[in-house]
Amino acid sequence: MSKQPIYLDNNATTCVAPEVLDVMLPFLKEQYYNPSSTYPEASFAHDAIERAREQVARIVGAGTRSEILFTGCATEGNNAALWGALRANPDRKHVVTTAVEHPAVLEVAKDLQRFGYRVTVLPVDTAGRLNAGDLLKALAPDTAIVSIMHANNETGVMFPVGELARLVKRVDPKIVFHTDATQTVGKVPMSLSKDLAAVDLLTMSGHKVHAAKGVGAMFVRRGARWRPFLIGGHQERGRRAGTENVAGIVGLGRACTLALESYREEERLRQLQQWLEQSIKAKIPNVFVNGEGAERLPNTSNFAFEYVEGEGILMALVDAGILASSGSACTSGSLDPSHVLKAMNVPFSAAHGSLRISMSRYTTGAEVDRLIEVLPGVIDSLRRISPYWDQEKNAPREGVDIFVQEKYR
Amino acid sequence: MPWDYSNKVMQLFRDAIAGKAGTHFGKVETPDGQGHHGSMQCGDAMEFTFRVDRTGDDPKLDRIVEARYQTFGCTSAIASSEALCRMLEERKITPIEAIAIKNADIVDYLEGLPPQKLHCSVMGAEALQAAVVDWARKRDVPLSDLGIDPSQLVEDEGRVVCHCFTLTEPYIRRKVKELNLRSIEEISAAIKAGGACTSCHHEPGGLQDILNDVWGVQPAPVASPNVPLPEPSPSSPAGRNARTPYQLAKEVERVVDKVIRPRLALEGGDIEIVEIRDKKVFCRLLGVCAACVGAQQTLNFVVEDSLRQNVDPEIEVIPVTV
Repeated sequence: MSKQPIYLDNNATTCVAPEVLDVMLPFLKEQYYNPSSTYPEASFAHDAIERAREQVARIVGAGTRSEILFTGCATEGNNAALWGALRANPDRKHVVTTAVEHPAVLEVAKDLQRFGYRVTVLPVDTAGRLNAGDLLKALAPDTAIVSIMHANNETGVMFPVGELARLVKRVDPKIVFHTDATQTVGKVPMSLSKDLAAVDLLTMSGHKVHAAKGVGAMFVRRGARWRPFLIGGHQERGRRAGTENVAGIVGLGRACTLALESYREEERLRQLQQWLEQSIKAKIPNVFVNGEGAERLPNTSNFAFEYVEGEGILMALVDAGILASSGSACTSGSLDPSHVLKAMNVPFSAAHGSLRISMSRYTTGAEVDRLIEVLPGVIDSLRRISPYWDQEKNAPREGVDIFVQEKYR
Repeated sequence: MPWDYSNKVMQLFRDAIAGKAGTHFGKVETPDGQGHHGSMQCGDAMEFTFRVDRTGDDPKLDRIVEARYQTFGCTSAIASSEALCRMLEERKITPIEAIAIKNADIVDYLEGLPPQKLHCSVMGAEALQAAVVDWARKRDVPLSDLGIDPSQLVEDEGRVVCHCFTLTEPYIRRKVKELNLRSIEEISAAIKAGGACTSCHHEPGGLQDILNDVWGVQPAPVASPNVPLPEPSPSSPAGRNARTPYQLAKEVERVVDKVIRPRLALEGGDIEIVEIRDKKVFCRLLGVCAACVGAQQTLNFVVEDSLRQNVDPEIEVIPVTV
């Protein structure tokens, strides 16, 4: 493809901002010193890391920069959060999480069961929302950690983690509260000193906020019951061993300041999101927006097109120069559609036809318009082939929808 | 993961969704053979029809001249459907010859399929077989002439092993033999069984047992299953007034119903008890009370005071606003 594709898959990863690349390059060239070294040449790298720490602390509203650790990625952060909380609370054997977490939490929770821990997985409703009562009821006398994501990567549905953390602390202040904020940092304002004041651990990733891949950050509240996960060096004050990814860290810091400045973009993205969803619903029959009705990220729209398969949609969009993603089974390598959509009880017929559009601050109105222009034709051509679609009526074949609803709801 | 499709797959898919001349989606009017495979639940499904040219009374001289499909599925499912129809029309073969077309032939025609997409070609072969059986019934051709054991068609009804895709034991056994499937991964790739929730992999009578049975392998020792630890009994809080948590909760509910609700109702509000933990009562104000600027006061002076007076002086009321 000669033309740059239209990139609408920003929940998967984002482009590195040019300003970020600029500040990274010196550390890949002449400033290659190990920040732990004692000679003066190394102090530049060392100081740059501390500056980045301050920048990350600011975007999440941490009280002091010493509460920020740099990690390799959000997956590492999530592993460290769960294992670290359990190791620091050896007499507690219970973990609470949700059915829609990223695998970096959910698979760890599954693994924990093999080590004798009990895991309660909270359900969500059809709009993807949690019930505070379910959470409170799940807490046991030996609950060590509650891990609830800030916003879901597939649907963009946000959880009121600040308030949920506060409730958990009222039941038992010794329970560690972790939130995976990979999808929210840089997209919506937050403060660990205000709305998230009851959150103990917060994890995030660099490459979702226009920094590079291979770097992430973790907030560990001062005094939180948590033990380090990676051991074997004094870096990060012994809380995350391993020589620092200096260029990545410096880039992440810069990306955070850029994101902080771009929070005013939130309103523009919300308007684009609304325009996109209204237009698609007006132009295409039998479509719904997953998570509609819940509080959602401004950049994410997850559509379910009934009676077509998501991978086919993606493939046809690629031919039109548009990159997006799907929760369909065929795109996942497994044969199961997205665990998030299943947890929301989205019927199989629609989960297979899901399409996730995720924008960034670089997304333009013209790009969204192009999607709105192309998508109806794509869905139409796939439905024409589908045995469940009546082309003449432009509606599902008689009886099909009833069959679907009864069987899978 | 990035797609690993051959150019042939991509070309057939693109032609099909563009509705190019020479593509085969659709349905043959009054078909001589009609077959179906898959379901919406499985994520792919195919309706297949064909028409034959009858040269005489002998049905065995029938030749397939037109083939059509309607397919719900991913790129490779649509390409497999298109490939099947092209193969049949290009070769101008009889239905009895057509039944010899196996999924591997479709894969060859497509110049290869990624392993996890093999089931798409199997779907084509299955729909074709079903359509030929339909043709045989219509034309009074004995199934034994097709090399099909008629009992097999009934046999596929049976105990469901893979509940995600509703696949029965006889069907899985037959496919394991036909397609020479030697591992659970191969089974999932070819016919999807066990590809979703995976619970049928090692359960008694599950996929591993079927494999062992078909290929004559001794069952491997089964790893001890995860037995969740029993719930530790909550330490009994020896309260001064020996009320069990249950009794306390019941009393809270009684006071809420008899005292608090009627008071809130006067102003058009209501309350929901979300959870009671020890002496902490988590509750949510409803109706006008929820939106009231004085909600906190209401909780303190109406709810908390009433519960302290009537149930226990140590009760704490905690608002739930989410």
